Amino acid sequence: MLRAILIAAAAVAAPATAATQATETAAVYREKIEPVLKAHCAGCHTGPQAQAGLSVASLADLMKGGKRGPALQPGKSSHSLLMQFVRGERNPRMPVGGKPLPETVITSIAAAIDSMAPVLQTSAPGKDHVSWVFKPPVEPKVPQPRNTAWVRNPIDAFVLARLEARGFSPAPAASPRALLRRLYFDLIGLPPTEQETRDFLNNSSPDAYEKLVDRLLEDRRYGERWARHWLDLVRFAESDGFAIDGERPTAWRYRDYVIRAFNNDKPYDEFVLEQLAGDEMQRRPAVRGGNIENEGLLALGFLRMGPWERDTNFDAQLRLDWLNEMAGTTSQVFLGLTAGCARCHDHKYDPIPQKDFYRLQAFFAATRIEERPMPHLDVEGRLEMRRLQRHWEDQLETANHAVKALDKELKAKLTAGGKKEDELLKFINDKQSPVFTADERASHKQAAEHAAKAALELARYQPIAYSVNEVAPPAVMDIEPTYVLGGGERLARGEKVEPGFLKAITGNSDPAAIAFPGRYRSGRRKALAEWIVSPANPLTARVMANRIWQHHFGEGIVRTPSDFGLNGDRPSHPELLDWLALRFVDKKWSIKAMHRLMLTSNTYRQSTRHPEAAKIGEADPENRLLSRMNWLRLEPEALRDSMLMLSGGLNPQAGGPGMFFGVKDEIAQGFQMFKWYASAEQEQQRRSVYAFQRRSLPMPLMEVFDAANMSESCARRSVTTVSPQALTLLNGEFTAAQAGRFAGRVAELAGPEPARQIAKAFSLTLQREPKPAELEKAQGLYNGRQPREALARLGTVLFNLNEFLYLE
Amino acid sequence: MNTEWKRRDFLYRSLVGVGGLALMDTLNAATAANPLAARQPHHTAKAKSCIFLTMLGGVAQMDTFDPKPALEKFDNTTLDWTNEKRTDQPELYTKPRLILKSPWKFAKYGQCGMDVSELLPHLATCVDDLAFVKTITGENGNHPAATFLMNTGLVLPGRPSVGSWVTYGLGTENQSLPGFVVLPDFRALPFSGSQQWGPGFLPASYQGTMMQWKGEPIHDLKPHGNLSDRDKLDQMDLLRAYNHAYLDGNFTNPDLQGRIDAYELAYRMQTEVPSVLNLDRETEATRRMYGIGDETTRSFGTRCLMARQLVEKGVRFVQLYTPSQSWDSHTDILKGHAKNAREVDLPIAGLIKDLKQRGLFDSTLIVWMGEFGRTPDHPADVRDKAGRDHNTKAMTMFFAGGGVKPGVAVGATDDLGWKAVDKIYRMRDVHATILHLMGLNDMRLSHYHAGRQMRLTDTGGEVIRGVVA
Repeated sequence: MLRAILIAAAAVAAPATAATQATETAAVYREKIEPVLKAHCAGCHTGPQAQAGLSVASLADLMKGGKRGPALQPGKSSHSLLMQFVRGERNPRMPVGGKPLPETVITSIAAAIDSMAPVLQTSAPGKDHVSWVFKPPVEPKVPQPRNTAWVRNPIDAFVLARLEARGFSPAPAASPRALLRRLYFDLIGLPPTEQETRDFLNNSSPDAYEKLVDRLLEDRRYGERWARHWLDLVRFAESDGFAIDGERPTAWRYRDYVIRAFNNDKPYDEFVLEQLAGDEMQRRPAVRGGNIENEGLLALGFLRMGPWERDTNFDAQLRLDWLNEMAGTTSQVFLGLTAGCARCHDHKYDPIPQKDFYRLQAFFAATRIEERPMPHLDVEGRLEMRRLQRHWEDQLETANHAVKALDKELKAKLTAGGKKEDELLKFINDKQSPVFTADERASHKQAAEHAAKAALELARYQPIAYSVNEVAPPAVMDIEPTYVLGGGERLARGEKVEPGFLKAITGNSDPAAIAFPGRYRSGRRKALAEWIVSPANPLTARVMANRIWQHHFGEGIVRTPSDFGLNGDRPSHPELLDWLALRFVDKKWSIKAMHRLMLTSNTYRQSTRHPEAAKIGEADPENRLLSRMNWLRLEPEALRDSMLMLSGGLNPQAGGPGMFFGVKDEIAQGFQMFKWYASAEQEQQRRSVYAFQRRSLPMPLMEVFDAANMSESCARRSVTTVSPQALTLLNGEFTAAQAGRFAGRVAELAGPEPARQIAKAFSLTLQREPKPAELEKAQGLYNGRQPREALARLGTVLFNLNEFLYLE
Repeated sequence: MNTEWKRRDFLYRSLVGVGGLALMDTLNAATAANPLAARQPHHTAKAKSCIFLTMLGGVAQMDTFDPKPALEKFDNTTLDWTNEKRTDQPELYTKPRLILKSPWKFAKYGQCGMDVSELLPHLATCVDDLAFVKTITGENGNHPAATFLMNTGLVLPGRPSVGSWVTYGLGTENQSLPGFVVLPDFRALPFSGSQQWGPGFLPASYQGTMMQWKGEPIHDLKPHGNLSDRDKLDQMDLLRAYNHAYLDGNFTNPDLQGRIDAYELAYRMQTEVPSVLNLDRETEATRRMYGIGDETTRSFGTRCLMARQLVEKGVRFVQLYTPSQSWDSHTDILKGHAKNAREVDLPIAGLIKDLKQRGLFDSTLIVWMGEFGRTPDHPADVRDKAGRDHNTKAMTMFFAGGGVKPGVAVGATDDLGWKAVDKIYRMRDVHATILHLMGLNDMRLSHYHAGRQMRLTDTGGEVIRGVVA
């Protein structure tokens, strides 16, 4: 109750402060500035003919400014163009043609401006934002902040310049331990081992940190971590969703493709090209130095990842839904635009007419879903895959044989009793009927299950790509035409359209030029993909650079990473984002190069604490200026994988069909349309990215800790704090199992002495020694408990700690 | 915890917000500090809680509340459908079909003289408290799509359900219990499982929490394994001490305190939930009202009683489900509907009467509906075991309780009960009505997502005025 009151009080107080400031600013303006401007400037600078586009009619107009930029910046007289012009620092001195303003007046205006509360400026709103978004980035001038010592690379210059302009300083560097944890979880999603911790903390060479960045980027576990970010974005799942939620047995090959792409630092332009038009791409090595193998068909899985209702009476509608979903997701993922909003009407916020949505959709008009034969690659373990395929073929055959034999036996019994053979199932399922014994019914069920399970397993090892294909001349007379659909309704056909790029970017509505691609191909998706990664596209590099930034810093420079449009967030550092986008292209679209750039900046190495955090926090509560590092919470994947690693149970097996985690019986049995067979325990202890992704049955830990919901593209997970998380993590079976194993491991490593055990437990989980008070408190657990039992309690507590879940 | 920290923490929370995004709707700011704190409605409303009784599979309106004498006349005949567009389930109409009269007799009940079939003898005694709408139409005749539409307003997965929206709009009264509770039937969970009550793009705080009526009501409410009370206490004690010590100097992260609070709530829930959901505390008479002693009515009855106990303790939204496809009587409706009616009829009547006798009826909104209605006819080849097929053109539902006009029926269907013809409503109108009766305006209840303000009713629904008192 007390808390509720306090919250309410704070909630009222805080906005009131901002409101008060605004009122004060307005009053200052009316009293000290407005009369001067009215007398000396309004003649030329008001109305539709206002000179240089600058109106001095109101404070808002001054802040908006004219051709040269904002005329007045509250709190910053020396930065305000108004002052620079009236002082004659800029030409022509104002008022032009008249006498200079008296020095006393100038000083008084300057003092008035300085007394105004500063307003946090991001980039310009409205029209200016649109002109920024839809124009290619221009090489920005790297600012020259005063504190040059802090600038390690241009990122720091951009960030520091903004901080200095507000009179703020950056936070001190994070402690080596905090930095170590941050980097490990950021890049590989797992904590450092004790040895790795010692090595880093004792390494005094100046480039120890840079070396660590390089090493972790080469770690195979980096791909397993960063692929997950991309899988969120492409709504990856291994089942159809909807009623039947049928399995997509080879969808895992797309997941492995993404992991490989990150590990091999596949250039992003190539990554985009493959996912949209992999069937038309040149063969390239799937692994650096490996055999030339074309992964394109696997990459096309991107287009298939949406939910899909297989069993339907609405083929035409289904296809339209699919086309819409593909066009909409493509626009969000690669361009950071919500073009899908223009499906039913012109976009309400962005310059995307409805027609443009259908011109975009037309790039997919020749595309059909297809499960395409595609031999396993060497990197997928071709021989092992073949072995397993054979193994399950044998299993299936044996199981089918057993089913047949048993059926024959049971049918014989039926006919002997005067019943018909084809009534077998009826009597088997009828528990009331005395025809079959419970044993017979059970063995019938078991035999059928064996066969069903073998069939499921076999399907996962088939050399099939979950992919798409083209239906183009001469297979058909013509490619299916695309129409603008009134209100998005299938039957409300309007104007026929050709594939074309967004007018907001190209400035015209001309059809896209598509080179003759050859027979049975439309070349459309390739044309779209090439346009997306062309230097003329203003969005692609910015959008991806922003996504990488978001995962390192917790928030993007644009905090709506898949909506760069008007309704999205304004960039906090537009010049920095442009600079990053240009470097991304310079560095041949290397994602790892971008990691290096961002991770080695001083901006990233800041502490989450700032000596003036309270003061800065009032001006910049969301830390948009990055005066300190943002706190990051472990995603459930990193949380689960870390617990497995700490307990010593993590199974590092990479790639291949997903593992099926254990599910409570009442849930597993509640599904009518599919059977869920949990994998063997060791298999279940693989990293979370290898968990089978069934849309209607997410892993409970993932679900409760805000993992992506798999039905639509997720660019930014929400981070909620709810009690079911506490229940799952404190009481759940998974925690109990890991804590028990952890206890055994700690006892083995530390010996019987409680103080040593506690120190070891802290060192493994938190990479530090316990403080004396913590040690003493933990020792209390040993009263009346076996050491193992005490350690299991301690393990449970450590896995639930804020310090474990949050990265400083 | 030192007071300076506390002050900064709260300042931070009020400024930062959970989402931290451009706060386009005021709710984001209001939900930041404690997402589940009770909030003022948009307008005054009687209903404080909602119990949504979901009849999965689709109930036949012409066999329950919408009598059609014409069916008697045309029974066993084929109608000429050539002038009707059968876009619903086109494949059904490629085969000969026969009209089926209702196997159940209708009579008039209550002061209002409402028609009810003998299928639902107990609900028949409650009609003076119910407000029927006979003209709800859908968009898709498949179960999962129609269930999504009923729950979320869209035929596709991924959107927040009505329970999540209501909790998002109003928070919840009891901070020791979840705000939105789902009570499914574990014999067959709804299609797509938890996606039917997932938070969609709303923060996870607003997702439905599934409870079971047998065994542990909530997963992981009790620690796994044989932990003693002392174990639990010691763990919590140590966790609390370490987490509090860690607050020192780390006030730039308001979530640290949020998470401490979440653990305290979880700890309270461990005692609160079992004490709220305690069937033993109820008298024999009450248990009998819900049919808990009878095998047929035990599952739904127990869950109806749980729903009452939960709303009594301030839970905002409780949704009950019959087993997936339970009402889906394509064949042998005589057996199928009779079985399903027996399972829910007495418990629902018991719930209504019990809420009334406890003075909770006026502060509770009850909604009863399925994902669609059923057809007046069936394929000719199953005449000996006739049933009815899916029908998105008409469904009967009812509202009851707080703010509802009792003893009325809104809208009319054609002579066969096949198609709504007068005062036709859509699912989004049902949603707008639920929100309205809970004190929320469907156009104002919005959340920024994927480039725009999203709503349960999208571009807006029409409140079904005829059922509003």
